[in-house]
Amino acid sequence: MAQTTIILSIVAVILIVINGKLNGRQYEGIKLGLNQFIRTIPIILGAFILAGIIEVMIPRDFVQNWLSKEAGLKGIVLGSFGGMLLAMGPYAFFPIVSTLMVSGAGLGTLISIITGWSLLSLSKAPFEIGFFGVEFTIKKTIYSIPLSLIAGFIAYIIELLVFT
Amino acid sequence: MKQSLIIIYLAAAILLIIGFLIGGSQMVVAGLNISINTAYRSFLMLLASFVVIGQLNVLLTADIIEKWLQKFSGIKAIIVSAIAGGLFPGGPYIYYPFVASFKEKKLPFYILTSFLFGKYIYDFSRIPLEASLVSPNIAFIRYLITFPIPIIVGLIVLRFFKDTPSYDYNLKAGEKDGSNNYNS
Repeated sequence: MAQTTIILSIVAVILIVINGKLNGRQYEGIKLGLNQFIRTIPIILGAFILAGIIEVMIPRDFVQNWLSKEAGLKGIVLGSFGGMLLAMGPYAFFPIVSTLMVSGAGLGTLISIITGWSLLSLSKAPFEIGFFGVEFTIKKTIYSIPLSLIAGFIAYIIELLVFT
Repeated sequence: MKQSLIIIYLAAAILLIIGFLIGGSQMVVAGLNISINTAYRSFLMLLASFVVIGQLNVLLTADIIEKWLQKFSGIKAIIVSAIAGGLFPGGPYIYYPFVASFKEKKLPFYILTSFLFGKYIYDFSRIPLEASLVSPNIAFIRYLITFPIPIIVGLIVLRFFKDTPSYDYNLKAGEKDGSNNYNS
């Protein structure tokens, strides 16, 4: 975690320098980021509470049978549809994924849940329907399901070949 | 955001009650301990993430991205619009109206889809969060595996809806709607 913090800090400094040279809006960027951080703290804290309680509640057998590498395709299918149902923003979603990872979920399940959430999350539906119509939303959802399953399956194969 | 907040705290409250009923106060305390530890360990990382997000927001404005989109056509346009979608700052209240404006700009439907899928899959401002809250390795593998998705979707739409301007995507391949063959 310390390594990630260092890398992110370096990236932040690089971007501040770039903005300083290109448009002089680096302070505006810092202010914007910090404002966004302060505004999202309640959501992040709520997500951490949710993730913490899920971590202690989630039965080991469930993870082993349905989400782990051994669960195979079951985990990928469950991950894709689980991601679809997790209609929440990234601040709430990623701590939950982290909990599943700590609990022993397989790579295929994790990738399919993130891809499923990215492509299919129901939180997008009201916007898509509003801006592009019901038909677009339905077609996009139907065509996106196999993409999420394939991504999970590729990750599952990678886990089998590389990480075992 | 208020709605998300209500949903999350409601879900947390329900799970805390279920946790209390299943495992008593011990389970609830164990869960809250994990939450406090995670919050404590993630604070600096999240702070750095949001500084990165803020800088990306001022670096890549909608005007810059719009200029890129109007420069290219065909497969180049697909790649550029997918990446532009990933770079486009802001949440759904900002990018959906922007994509909806493709109609007035007379951009073709394949640009719309690759931009939208680029935003969904790449969303580069999400990398700091994904790497810090899940794991840098998982984020890297996920990006690697899903990288072709917006391009593949764009190519499929280009193949079957080449002449279709944004919003008239129900037209079949080769079918004209009386408008120009935009950007191709």
